[in-house]
Amino acid sequence: MAYPYEHRRGTRVLSKYFGDWDAVRIDGWIARGGYKTLKKALKMSQDDIIQVVKDSGLRGRGGAGFPAGLKWSFMPKDGGGTNYLACNADESEPGTFKDREIMRWTPHQLIEGIIITSYAIRAQHAYIYIRGEFVDVVRALNGAVVEAYERGYLGKNILGSGYDLELTVHLGAGAYIAGEETGLLNSLEGRRAEPRLKPPFPAQRGAFGMPTTVNNVETLASVPHIVENGADWYRQWGTEKSPGTKLFSCCGHLKRPGNYEVALDFNLKELVFDLCGGPPDGREMLAIIPGGSSVPIMTVDEIDCDVSYEGIEAAGSFLGSGGLIAMDNSTCMVHAVRKMVDFYAHESCGQCTNCREGTAWLARILRRIERGQGREEDIPLLLDIGANMAGKTICPLSDSAAVPVVSSIQKFEHEYMAHIRDGSCTAVR
Amino acid sequence: MSDAMHPAIVSAQPSQRADSDPDAPLFEGEYKDRFEKMLTRYPEKRAALLPTLNLAQEVRGWLAPEAMARVAELLDLTPAYVRSVASFYTMFATRPTGKYLIQVCAGIGCDLCGAEDVTERLLELTKTRLGETSEDGKYTVVEVECLGGCGFATIVQVNDQVYENVKAEDVEGLLKELD
Amino acid sequence: MPDTTMESESKPLVDITIHGIQMSVPKGSTILEAAERIGVVIPRYCYHPGLSAPAVCRMCLVDVEGAPKPAPSCVQVVQDGMVVRTDNALARKARRAAIEFLLINHPLDCPICDAAGQCQLQDYAFETGQLRTRNVEPKQVLGRDHVTSDIVYFADRCVLCTRCVRFMDEIAEEPVLQVINRGHRGFIDTMTGDLFEHPFSMNIVDVCPVGALVNEDFLFKARSWDLDQTASVCPGCSQGCNVLLGTKEDTIQRAKPRPNPEVNSFWMCDHGRASVVNWGAGERIEVPLVKDDDRLVPVDWGKALTALADALQGKPGRAKAVVSAGASNESMYVLRKLMDRLGNQGGQFRVETGPEQVLSGFPKLALRKDRAPNARGAGILGFQRSGDPLAMAAKHKGTLFVLEDALDGAAADFGRNAALFVYIGSMMNPAARNAHIVIPSPTFAEMDGTFTNFEGRVQRFAQALRVPGMARPLWMTGSAVLARLGDGEAFRTADAAFAALAQEVAEYAGLSYESIGLQGRSVVAAGSSATKVR
Repeated sequence: MAYPYEHRRGTRVLSKYFGDWDAVRIDGWIARGGYKTLKKALKMSQDDIIQVVKDSGLRGRGGAGFPAGLKWSFMPKDGGGTNYLACNADESEPGTFKDREIMRWTPHQLIEGIIITSYAIRAQHAYIYIRGEFVDVVRALNGAVVEAYERGYLGKNILGSGYDLELTVHLGAGAYIAGEETGLLNSLEGRRAEPRLKPPFPAQRGAFGMPTTVNNVETLASVPHIVENGADWYRQWGTEKSPGTKLFSCCGHLKRPGNYEVALDFNLKELVFDLCGGPPDGREMLAIIPGGSSVPIMTVDEIDCDVSYEGIEAAGSFLGSGGLIAMDNSTCMVHAVRKMVDFYAHESCGQCTNCREGTAWLARILRRIERGQGREEDIPLLLDIGANMAGKTICPLSDSAAVPVVSSIQKFEHEYMAHIRDGSCTAVR
Repeated sequence: MSDAMHPAIVSAQPSQRADSDPDAPLFEGEYKDRFEKMLTRYPEKRAALLPTLNLAQEVRGWLAPEAMARVAELLDLTPAYVRSVASFYTMFATRPTGKYLIQVCAGIGCDLCGAEDVTERLLELTKTRLGETSEDGKYTVVEVECLGGCGFATIVQVNDQVYENVKAEDVEGLLKELD
Repeated sequence: MPDTTMESESKPLVDITIHGIQMSVPKGSTILEAAERIGVVIPRYCYHPGLSAPAVCRMCLVDVEGAPKPAPSCVQVVQDGMVVRTDNALARKARRAAIEFLLINHPLDCPICDAAGQCQLQDYAFETGQLRTRNVEPKQVLGRDHVTSDIVYFADRCVLCTRCVRFMDEIAEEPVLQVINRGHRGFIDTMTGDLFEHPFSMNIVDVCPVGALVNEDFLFKARSWDLDQTASVCPGCSQGCNVLLGTKEDTIQRAKPRPNPEVNSFWMCDHGRASVVNWGAGERIEVPLVKDDDRLVPVDWGKALTALADALQGKPGRAKAVVSAGASNESMYVLRKLMDRLGNQGGQFRVETGPEQVLSGFPKLALRKDRAPNARGAGILGFQRSGDPLAMAAKHKGTLFVLEDALDGAAADFGRNAALFVYIGSMMNPAARNAHIVIPSPTFAEMDGTFTNFEGRVQRFAQALRVPGMARPLWMTGSAVLARLGDGEAFRTADAAFAALAQEVAEYAGLSYESIGLQGRSVVAAGSSATKVR
């Protein structure tokens, strides 16, 4: 069966076996070349693995885009204590559902990446912190982990290399902020998933006080491919600063929503209109959020750029997690922004004043405007609240909540004014 | 759920089940075994808190104060600490729910594709209000923040079963399937 | 430019500029600590010097030159060459923002709030000059609840700084108070339906920077600005916690801990607080009384001192005493001198005891077994501890002195065997009627003096209340009598009395009120229980 979101212009590296039921189980995975790279990696030195990942330019796919190899190089090498790898599978950025697909269709791709990465950073125990809501995905992943243990890819003396690794799947319980790397570590330790102050960084003091690397699912799943084929192979796609391929989760008003894997120099407009088929018939595209709800909204006129980190940034937004949200002209922008802000108000951990109070305040104002009870002075007020929330807190959730508000006012102020002045909505229904 | 569950995955078992029993004994038999296996996976007892609460919820359907106090005792924590952590995470039910906990994604992806209509239809057919349990104790319909399947809107989760691409017109059939 | 270099510090120093003032501070200091050295108090809620700093209130944000965003000064460690602005437009806007956010759901019920006048939310809101709110949305209402039998939590006033949570976690080491829920629905609570009990629970009220946690016993008793504050020492046990007594209308309304890193840090126990409220209230002796034909007759001080001087010269027999472990060093010293004139046959004291309660996170501090402030001082001054000193004294046929509350619980015929029975105290009781002379004396709260705590730290307390009637401390009246008899000078101040004591009692040698200061000093050989009497 073909993956429904396959497209001839896509580049299927990570998603090559999406839709292939036989690839889910270990025999099928091995038959497709799985765990071959693990054997190779265990014969390499740890530093060589880190170097090839550094050279490949692989950047963290969770949203921040931090170079993965560099992150690994911060881990202590002396082997004095326990090092940990935490795989961030708490995918919860609205509009993002790519890690879910990796784990659902190719759990062994992730597990192989985890074992190689753990070996490279000298970790003795790896945890997959997976969203509690991913009930069906976690079953697939659990099955794969048990299989990997049974075949000797996990546990003591992996493939006779002398390397020992334990892997534990740890279920989250419903908290977006557990996807922030230090929030994740607190949650893993049995605490409230409140982000920690940095420094110390996780590579210094992470899980259980020990050096820890936190990597996203997609990042880790990319590792076997890079180790197998080399940095130059990976750099055949994308740009100098954004090499490789990336999964884009595309949702909202699209003819063909779903996960598309493209090279990082692919054109964003083509992704929306060609691969995803553009808006449903009879509608016009209004706005695109390219990287999850935390990045600025782009008007449809702004999206003729490539999907690299720097390409989208130059066009006024961010690649983020690659969660693309498409909004056509049936969208009430005030309502859509209110939904996004509601999300942040619901998910704010509440530690920092500005975020705890600001998210809820923004949501209340937006709800009032949506009801047609807005005031013109609400616009500068919203912008100033946004400014007071940005850059003032421990983690970026507060900034994220302000982003849709500020960027939508910048680009769609007329929609707000229609609600405020006329009590009407510009959405075409 | 067999006795042979691998220790690597005992901390990752979906917990919302239709056959939970609010009076069932906690941490006995298979559950005691799973709890003990969990402890072997972490360098600190506290780290087993989320999975232990999950176990309690799997058995009882929700986390009553007594259940939290029992978890606190097992993990050498204070009951208040356990309550604090449990109340942080939305998947821990600190109130009883219906036999079927129906969660509708209210995230932006599903919202753009008509999630509100799905919720409305669910409330209409289950004769409940949002967050409240139906009189026969069967249904509790809640809106939840993004369930992470935005491309397959609308996502509806009933206990530990996920439904993708749910439209308002699918709701009736979905509810029939439960009985 | 003030010289703010701390040369006494042995740590390496770094040079920084705060508020335009260049200074050298020890490496590892935070910006907030460094700023305090030049008297710049950066507003804060979550930071408390006795607790860890979570940097969550975002009130102490300052502008660090070259930094991309404002820094939380409570955790940001100084770097060499750092230039910090605590009061430029950026820092001020950040503070205004935090205040505005905190007030969105705040009920603004200052007129009925116990914390009004001592509230950091009030202070900083006033300072940032925000008179009108921009918020027009309905406020979220969470309500209130008890967390202990005496402490009420007002959730709507709470700024979620978590100081109380951290006190219970880090200092009490019983994490029974927690943040419940998350985000804007968060509040502080115990386990559902539980009240917690802890011997140091009231500290959570002290650390609360607003009116969210209030002591129900103090609720509506006094506005904080109506209270006079006096530096004192808690009389509740032998720990000697440094306290501030809050008084109104000549009554002690409350005690709050006064920071002293050597004794009580920022804390004190609930027992001490409760014991000091209304201290000294009751039927007080306000005039000297002298026995005339079996009746105690009120007299003026001239007559009273003459009567005592005459009595001492009338060879009434050798002296024994029962003293109070709550009497000051100065009074006990003068009493000893009075006894010495007649032949000192020794004095005893009894100490009420109770279970010891150590504060786990600051184990130097405990509610001590000895529930009196000056048992150690009594020992150093040569008095003996005894289980039932009144029994010994009741049979004494010579001169008998009883000091202060040592007479509590004495039998109605106590003192009748003595040739001369002098009672120096504050309260009348049946046995006191047997005294030949009654010298009215103030309680510790009504005079200056010192106590010596369990580990030999001598600490000063200051007069917090007016003295009732003609009562005067024994170091004053007793020394006046001794002066009449040609034995030393009459002390006009507690300072002078202590100076004489320090001259005479080896353990206190070299100490003076000035050197004891507000934080106390350890007496010589405090580690040893041996007492020298010259």
